[in-house]
Amino acid sequence: MSIEIDTCPLEISDQDILEAMKSIPGYLDITTQDFKEVYILAYRQALERIKHSVRAGDIMTRSVISVKPDTPLEEVAEILSKNGISGVPVTDLEERILGMISEKDFLINMGVKKTGSFMTIIAQCLQNKGCLALPIRRQKAENIMTSPVVTVTEDTSAYEISSILTEKNINRVPVVNRENKLAGIITRTDIVKSSCSIGY
Amino acid sequence: MQYFKKMKGTAKSPPYVGISEIFWSWIGAFIGIGAVAYLEYNMLTTQTDLVMIIGSFGASAVLIYGAVRSPLAQPRNFIGGHIISALIGVSAYKLLNGHMWLASSVGVATAIAAMHATKTLHPPGGATALIAVTGSEQIHNLGYFYAIIPVGAGALIMLIVALLVNNIPKTRRYPEFWF
Repeated sequence: MSIEIDTCPLEISDQDILEAMKSIPGYLDITTQDFKEVYILAYRQALERIKHSVRAGDIMTRSVISVKPDTPLEEVAEILSKNGISGVPVTDLEERILGMISEKDFLINMGVKKTGSFMTIIAQCLQNKGCLALPIRRQKAENIMTSPVVTVTEDTSAYEISSILTEKNINRVPVVNRENKLAGIITRTDIVKSSCSIGY
Repeated sequence: MQYFKKMKGTAKSPPYVGISEIFWSWIGAFIGIGAVAYLEYNMLTTQTDLVMIIGSFGASAVLIYGAVRSPLAQPRNFIGGHIISALIGVSAYKLLNGHMWLASSVGVATAIAAMHATKTLHPPGGATALIAVTGSEQIHNLGYFYAIIPVGAGALIMLIVALLVNNIPKTRRYPEFWF
């Protein structure tokens, strides 16, 4: 008997339960079917609780590296590579969020239209077609940033965020406060670390 | 069809218990029933006409010495279930003794409902209520005192034995909860 809860298949057989019951000394006044029902309901309850218990504020990175709209792209690229990150928010002087720049934005603006894959660059370089970064050489952050951006607040649950990341096919989402100012950032890694990606 | 299908049953029966569980169930029941029965047959009857042991204690012994983890076997259920059922059984007899079949059925049914309502469900409580109705003249003459002796006092002795015996083996503990 298998029961699907959200997208996590939950299979527990009578044999599993009997084995578990055998390992507990003493007579357990419960049938395997009763246990299964309690288990499934408790599991669902736990999922619901976890879905809403961990919030953006708990798992976000607070010290966010950001760039300004007029930051030259060569500087943006250097910031990304130096910090080992693949995306940064673009903010104005009041730290209000204007857009996001990720590796994908670079690639797309370098002419890698379809998949936004770095391998396209490798392939073209190996075919001796020259440096593909030239078209964006003198440009600034605002020229290639993705805008408007999806943002969340500190109260958004990790579960909701994991669904946003999946739906929008993005890897990070900025967290803003009431004045729409940058408060932190959440990446897929943060979600995985919080182990709240259950169901996604 | 669903109605008859349900009669087939869906679950597997629970596993056997180990030999030590059987041993300790025997020891607990022997000492628990032994203590109450000794009072009944060797101390009370010589001086008084008090009753100490009733049949439903045999059923309680199954739970509190044989299925010690069961919610039905916990002190709240064991003591509460017996006393509440005793009071209801005595009331049923007092109000309906002209129609014994009705006194019996109302007593047991109401005892179950009251135990549910007070979270004290303890199956032998049904027997305790029934004994209050169908018991001997001696039981009837006790009136509501039946809830104190034999029911309350006997259950208390059995509970003390359960606490002392069930916590000896490493694999057992009692109670799971008090209230």
